Amino acid sequence: MDGGARIGEIDKTLVNFIRAVRGADVRVSVAETLDAVAVVDFVGWEDRETLKQGLGLAVAKTPEEKNRFDACFDAFFAAVADSEEHELDEDERDDGPVDTDDKLAQMLLDADQSELMVVMEEAAAEVGLENIKFFTQRGLYTQRIMRQMGLEGLDAAIREAQAGEGSGQGQGQGDGGDPSGQGSGEAATLEAARARLFETTRDLVEKRLSLYGSETSRDLREGRLRRSRLGNLDRRDQEEMRRLVAKIAKRLAALHSRKPKRRNRGVLDLRRTMRRNYANDGIMFDLEWKRKKIAKPKVMAICDVSGSVATVARFLLQFLYALHDILNDVRSFAFSGKLIETSDFFKRNDVDTAVDHVMNAVGYMPTDYGHSFENFRELGFLDELDKRTTVVILGDGRTNNTDPRADILKEIHERSKRILWLNPEPPPLWGTGDSEILRYRPYCHMHREVNTLGHLERFVNELVHVVKASS
Amino acid sequence: MLEQHAAKLADIDAITNGFAELGYICSKSIATAIFIAGNLEKPILVEGPAGVGKTELANTMAQFMDLPMIRLQCYEGLDEAKALYEWRYAKQLLYTQILRDKIGEVLGGAETLAASMDKLHQHSDLFFSEQFVAPRPLLKAMREEGGSVLLIDEIDKADHEFEAFLLEILSEFQVSIPELGTIKAKRKPFVFLTSNNTRELSDALKRRCLHLYVPFPEAKLEQQILRARVPELTDALMQQLVAFVQGVRELDLKKHPSVSETLDWAKALMLLNASELDGDLVRETLNVILKFEEDITVVDRQALELVRMSEKAVRR
Repeated sequence: MDGGARIGEIDKTLVNFIRAVRGADVRVSVAETLDAVAVVDFVGWEDRETLKQGLGLAVAKTPEEKNRFDACFDAFFAAVADSEEHELDEDERDDGPVDTDDKLAQMLLDADQSELMVVMEEAAAEVGLENIKFFTQRGLYTQRIMRQMGLEGLDAAIREAQAGEGSGQGQGQGDGGDPSGQGSGEAATLEAARARLFETTRDLVEKRLSLYGSETSRDLREGRLRRSRLGNLDRRDQEEMRRLVAKIAKRLAALHSRKPKRRNRGVLDLRRTMRRNYANDGIMFDLEWKRKKIAKPKVMAICDVSGSVATVARFLLQFLYALHDILNDVRSFAFSGKLIETSDFFKRNDVDTAVDHVMNAVGYMPTDYGHSFENFRELGFLDELDKRTTVVILGDGRTNNTDPRADILKEIHERSKRILWLNPEPPPLWGTGDSEILRYRPYCHMHREVNTLGHLERFVNELVHVVKASS
Repeated sequence: MLEQHAAKLADIDAITNGFAELGYICSKSIATAIFIAGNLEKPILVEGPAGVGKTELANTMAQFMDLPMIRLQCYEGLDEAKALYEWRYAKQLLYTQILRDKIGEVLGGAETLAASMDKLHQHSDLFFSEQFVAPRPLLKAMREEGGSVLLIDEIDKADHEFEAFLLEILSEFQVSIPELGTIKAKRKPFVFLTSNNTRELSDALKRRCLHLYVPFPEAKLEQQILRARVPELTDALMQQLVAFVQGVRELDLKKHPSVSETLDWAKALMLLNASELDGDLVRETLNVILKFEEDITVVDRQALELVRMSEKAVRR
């Protein structure tokens, strides 16, 4: 029966560990958890180094994941080792001189740190500290643990001591209010100890939070970033944002990189085979296959780079270039007052440098859609459009009251396969003020509000779908 | 697992030593991976830069376990006819001809069509039977009586479909041949998959394997490898060489020199009777460790500095 209890306990440790690993952004499936159980059964818990290697083999499946796994393993087992060490000390505890009736107060007065930690770990397990998810729960769990450890008894002891001192010696009360001062009375000592206990408990809770809570708080943060308007993002979120975009792009790439094979040879085309073999007396000698055409899809992204549109453009281009394995022919153009091709900037540099380049070249000018469309035609890009080209235009359609030149957009419409217009403005603003979007809209196959990462993700996903489906 | 196999995989040190005797110096993580994968009978997916000894690991495993080594080199367009089995068409044709000759005897005496069909059905259908199967590497590995080491090399070069096709083998150690049914491995093979990470492998595949990442070795390990593989190398030159190569790996290059390149270089230097590295020698032989013109130019510019650094490493 002892063995059974032990196994249950170990499994709990492993399950907690797997949760901590997931929190460290390592993807662990159920099958991999079972592998981890097999590894632990085989290797045991004693040899930490082998255990670390073994669990790493079963759980972390890329070099980056290995690094994160290693760090998480060290942090997790440092915490476990702490509590185990204290457990060992448990036998050595001896009873000191009795000053108060309360157990917790006694422990604090003895300053027996290791015993205190044992009790704290027990209390933490009792209140289920491993379920902590959000940083807002810190106070709650700290309180619960302290109460579990017998805080009420301690408070009572403090009150009692204060009362005793207050009636006995007059000056005791004055010192009692100042915990840092040399506590002449027992009450002051106890108060100081209570403050220390609070700090220690809070430390423990924070450590566990960083171990177990990071998964949920990351999900929360990423969810928020996905939904918030790109134009309103805080500077400090930029780094996180870039990571998130890379992550989403990777997932999209994985999703779409499965290409059906043998696309150039289909099923037997019976009709054409028969016709072709009339000459052979109807004996089917030359076979004719139904062919599927391989069209090379092209994507041209034309981005307005003024103000808030630029932020969206930055992420759109980041997506498009991250997907270059799938969208093999992507060209990008940027404009505000005039239009330039930016494909090379983005291919050669990382996104930030590229955006800076582009902003220096064409940014900070009043937007002029008509002039930019003229540029597009003059530079001969119109002639490069063909029936395989998908044109993505990103812009708010605010022309500063200049001629919108919707006729050029019409021409683009006629020459390309489709035009998709992404508008960072929400629908109620369309067509208000100097927005000419309603005049452009008839020539677009799709016109949609795109101003959060979530919108962008959905759009790029659909784009890849339609582009590939038509190929 | 056979007892003799279990004995060989009994502990990590035994594996490290056994591999070292065969000339493969492995780090602790590699030995642990062999230890755990061998005992849990799970496939290992080995990833890492080219030339760090991924394929060699499987070779050494086969020698160490004294098992036949079956290798399947992956490439684009690899399909199950080349990986698993194929029918022996010529033999099948012969069989039908024999059947035609003998059909009179077989059906002897049957009067009606129905009666002759009945008689024909009494004979087993040999046309799609084990005799006519030409086994390819995967089926061969399943059929080895005493077990085997199966190396699926450079899985990242194969198509996605092939990856999916492997899943049954990796998790159940069995394959399905439509005409014959499911064939289970007589004894589970030790499976190694290698990948150079030219593309991301599917999660399904990764989930079924233990994952071992083999990085470039640390200086100490690389020295041990050199000592095992090129024993005639002097200690001083070896240390200098390793320090130099480790220095080159710090640079921003298209392709970093790998262990196999270090070994080639050591052998080349032995042929040239070199006793220590100097600027000229390095420049003349740089093409052994670097495979791109741009890389050679980059290292060439810093050759002297690297040589000086490697000399310092020896003195220490």
